[in-house]
Amino acid sequence: MFNFISLVFKYIFIIIIYLFIFSIIRLIYLDIRSMDVSAIDGDAYLKLINRIDKLPYKIKEHYPIDGELTLGRHSDNDILIKDPFVSKKHFQIVEDEGDYYLEDLNSANGTFLNGERIEDVAKLSNGDIIKVGNIEFLFVNRE
Amino acid sequence: MLKNDISNRSPRNLLFLFEILSLSLVFLYDWGSVDRATYITAIGLVIIIYLSNFILNKISKGDSYIFLIVTMLVSIGVIMVYRIDSQLGMKQLLWLSLGILIFYLTYFVLKFIRGWKNWIPLYLGLSYLLFFLTFLLGKRKYGAINWITIGGHSFQPAEITKILLIFIIAAYYSNPEKFSKYKYAPYYIMGIVYSFIALLFLQRDLGTALIFYAIFLAIQFIYEDRRILILYNIILFAAGGILGYVVFDHVKIRVLTWIDPWSYIDNKGYQITQSLFAIASGGFFGTGLGLGHPEFIPLSYTDFIFSAICEEMGLFTGIGVIMLFMILVYRGFKIALNQTHKFYRILALGVSILFGIQSIIILGGVLKVLPLTGITLPFVSYGGTSILSSFIALGILQVASEDIDTREEAE
Repeated sequence: MFNFISLVFKYIFIIIIYLFIFSIIRLIYLDIRSMDVSAIDGDAYLKLINRIDKLPYKIKEHYPIDGELTLGRHSDNDILIKDPFVSKKHFQIVEDEGDYYLEDLNSANGTFLNGERIEDVAKLSNGDIIKVGNIEFLFVNRE
Repeated sequence: MLKNDISNRSPRNLLFLFEILSLSLVFLYDWGSVDRATYITAIGLVIIIYLSNFILNKISKGDSYIFLIVTMLVSIGVIMVYRIDSQLGMKQLLWLSLGILIFYLTYFVLKFIRGWKNWIPLYLGLSYLLFFLTFLLGKRKYGAINWITIGGHSFQPAEITKILLIFIIAAYYSNPEKFSKYKYAPYYIMGIVYSFIALLFLQRDLGTALIFYAIFLAIQFIYEDRRILILYNIILFAAGGILGYVVFDHVKIRVLTWIDPWSYIDNKGYQITQSLFAIASGGFFGTGLGLGHPEFIPLSYTDFIFSAICEEMGLFTGIGVIMLFMILVYRGFKIALNQTHKFYRILALGVSILFGIQSIIILGGVLKVLPLTGITLPFVSYGGTSILSSFIALGILQVASEDIDTREEAE
């Protein structure tokens, strides 16, 4: 009896192990496809902190800041987020003489810099965390 | 959202299914002699692993695959160990529970304590202390003095020194401005690593010496500015290897039994030939758990676990194990590439190299592709210290996969 079960199980084990490997490789493949390597060329960029596979809408992992960057629900923004908590034009980041400034565009739910809601304009420094709705970005500036 | 959740859940459920099926089969094999403590530990461990894979996703924003891959390897390993020797299997279950605990401990300690890169003297002191203890209290086991027994528990200090070595090298290469004022700094670090390797050589722990060499050489190759040093290192490595072959008998035996184990089948080559017989008799699908004879291979529960897996669970499972190691190491390198904090980047790199090189050395050894050196297959083999140090290394990798706040370290 045991011999028979063992003989059947060995095929089941191999099938399970390979299904496991396959599903992990598929997840890794999805992970790699969402990576945008070209984005890291610039000096300053926003990096998504949330895990990309947990968010229900399309979003990239890196957004380079090339002079100006806007975020909002409307489709002419650089970062388009289809989230009800995000206003049509939510915030923008502007470069001025090498420094970067974060400006809230009178959004309904506000923009948070390192946990504090910003009033109008705030200066960004490397490692700052920008939060909009449930989404968090890390500001990276490599000069 | 729902679809994404399903895709993330599927490997976790497959793992759960595999553990339940294999445990019930193993308990059926051992029917009657299994006591209640074993049942409780085994079922407890399955639940811990399932929940850990779930919780880790919530508390850590880092990589969610490495722990999943490792728990699969661990499951295959513990079933094989239990089937070979149920008492060792029971101990292994306990070690694994402790290992997962240590994993979480490492994760939180490394994450919430800052300044790891400034404590080179501490790592150095600890390493030399461990070596000293090994020589003082060490016992010779299978030709190498690398075991200490304290209060009935034996443990292998070199497993911990491996982790310390990665910390030393990472701390050195991530503080270039601190060390550049010493003209001979790279020579000092080389001297330290060579002193470790020499001590390991004296203990006749050749496999671990090889791992130390590989980790140092790989990180030096990536980060050293004085490229000539890498050449020196490779020359010294070759010279050391040839010298070891000529001077030490035990090195010569390893090489001879690697080239032709069949002439020494009655003593020195016995392990390798038995390992090859076992793999061959398993075929593609194996004999089935409990139906083979892995007990014919000496040490089939530690160094030769891979041959035992190939015999009873088939070559396909063996290939699966190798693939799991490959994705684990690949994830490790990807973590290192994504990490912006240099110290954690080198740590991730060191740990990935450690997993990679250790599995290559022992898998090559049992398959007669490389000369055999007795080290464990990480996460799969039986062995308390080996399991613990592997889980510490995994904890380091998990921390390194997150975004480290660089502002505090700027000083």
